[in-house]
Amino acid sequence: MFGRFQLRSNEDAALAIFLLVSAVVVSLAIPLFWPLDPLRGDIMATFKPPMTTNAGDFHPLGTDQLGRDLLARLGLGTLISFGIVLVAALISVVLGTALGMIAGYYGGWTDAIIMRLVDIQLAVPFILLILLLVSVLGPSLFNLIIVLGLTGWAIFARVARGRTLEVRELEYIDASRAIGLSDLTIIFRHILPNIIGPQTVLLTLDLPRLIILEASVGFLGLGVQPPVPTLGNLIGEGRSYMLIANWLVLYPGLMVGALVIGCNLLGDWLVRRAKSKVS
Amino acid sequence: MKGFRFLLSRAVQGVIVMFGVSLLVFFALFLTGDPAALMMAPDSTVAEIDAFREAMGFNDPILVQYGRFLAGVVQGDFGNSLRYQRPALDLLSERLTATGVLALSALLWSSLLGFALGAIAAVRKNKPIDFAIRVISLLGQAVPVFWLALMMIILFSLNLRWLPSSGYGTFQQLIMPSVALGAYYLSAITRLVRASLIETLGENYIRTARAKGLTQWRIVVRHAMRNAMIPVVTLQGMYLASLLGGALVTEIIFAWPGIGRLAVEAIQNRDFPVVQAVVLFAAMVFVIANFLVDVAYTWLNPRIRL
Repeated sequence: MFGRFQLRSNEDAALAIFLLVSAVVVSLAIPLFWPLDPLRGDIMATFKPPMTTNAGDFHPLGTDQLGRDLLARLGLGTLISFGIVLVAALISVVLGTALGMIAGYYGGWTDAIIMRLVDIQLAVPFILLILLLVSVLGPSLFNLIIVLGLTGWAIFARVARGRTLEVRELEYIDASRAIGLSDLTIIFRHILPNIIGPQTVLLTLDLPRLIILEASVGFLGLGVQPPVPTLGNLIGEGRSYMLIANWLVLYPGLMVGALVIGCNLLGDWLVRRAKSKVS
Repeated sequence: MKGFRFLLSRAVQGVIVMFGVSLLVFFALFLTGDPAALMMAPDSTVAEIDAFREAMGFNDPILVQYGRFLAGVVQGDFGNSLRYQRPALDLLSERLTATGVLALSALLWSSLLGFALGAIAAVRKNKPIDFAIRVISLLGQAVPVFWLALMMIILFSLNLRWLPSSGYGTFQQLIMPSVALGAYYLSAITRLVRASLIETLGENYIRTARAKGLTQWRIVVRHAMRNAMIPVVTLQGMYLASLLGGALVTEIIFAWPGIGRLAVEAIQNRDFPVVQAVVLFAAMVFVIANFLVDVAYTWLNPRIRL
């Protein structure tokens, strides 16, 4: 029974790593080594279907409405989207963990205020809040990262708080307090190491949400502005031409799917591994 | 009694949350410093912006402005839409039915099918059917709503010509938006029901039921499902916020005349009173739904009622 469980989870992990590594390779190798320019088009080569050669240039995924190579754009788009998502996730996890630990450690009013902020944050649909803030601040790469990062902290705070409440009662925390360590030292040196593991798992499970969110904002045209490609921008732009060129929508969508499945499988696998370690 | 106190404290929390959201949507407009310049077209003259600022009362102290905003909101007055020159609430309520039909139909089919698939997967754990259901739910969570929607349009509207690609009013026009919006929840609910049911099926009282010689399906439906539903119901409240978010994109793609499309158009046109109304409305739906979840929770779980 256990052996079978182990085997299946390893297959999951292998598939997850395969999907994520190939996505990362595509997003790094294509912008670096692919000879065609993702931003410069050729008006004589518009809407070439996948696997065609035009004027000596080979287009494995075809070209778009301005004759730009889709593979080059997909590579750069993946890099930009995944970069945005990773930086935003990092902001969320740092902010959420810090606030969650503070809420759990101090309790009382501090706790009540931070937890109500979590409730408020979670009550507004993310995409609506992000669209509102981006439209106020103006759409740009920097604003998008900040807004995505600042709106994602709530779930991390909730989990960090719960874990802090458990750890706070342990004897070594009492001991740290007895030898006169400051609260901040206790929180960051002695509680944080207990929380990093669960937060990393949560981060992996939260990445898919961010990937889809970033793509949705791009799709609606309020993300990074054209001609810079992101996964959402590519699908949004391709939508207008999908009658005659469905590959413009198909391949960026598959890339989103690969990233999301990879992160989900990896997260599930980490959760199961953590559970089997405990039991 | 304990149940009542629990519900009362949740209700108070709900009011606090709504108050917080009102602060959020109000002060969001002041992030750039000047809401008047934000709302006016980029080519307006300084004199026009000044006149607009005076007319909207943006020259008053900010707390006075917030008080006025809050007093209006409590009475259902969100101000006039800048674009349509009509109360924002009227625009919202006109679109309410369309979004309600879309969101509820998506929630309904995905919940029913999700419960069925989750139960089958839990009972046939580690069998091929469990694996197949798991793959489906993994795929359902992987594709963005808008991509699934576009793929369905390509396949069912452009190639097969079975279903209309947009519009509102007939059942055929509801199918694709509802499927696109519900796909994610189908996956989420299936996974939750499966995990929760597997855990419940390991409990002692289930072993007792089995020892009594009850059939597997009777045990699942009559005994295990009720307890297994507790985490599922709790999470459905959480999902509601993202359901409204998903409806936003779905409505854009299928030209569905709902609140989501109203919101995106309002954001693109810098029609902020409408945006504020939509955000507050979405938060209110979320708070009320989660309160109902708490009510259902006390009913499902007698332990908090004692």
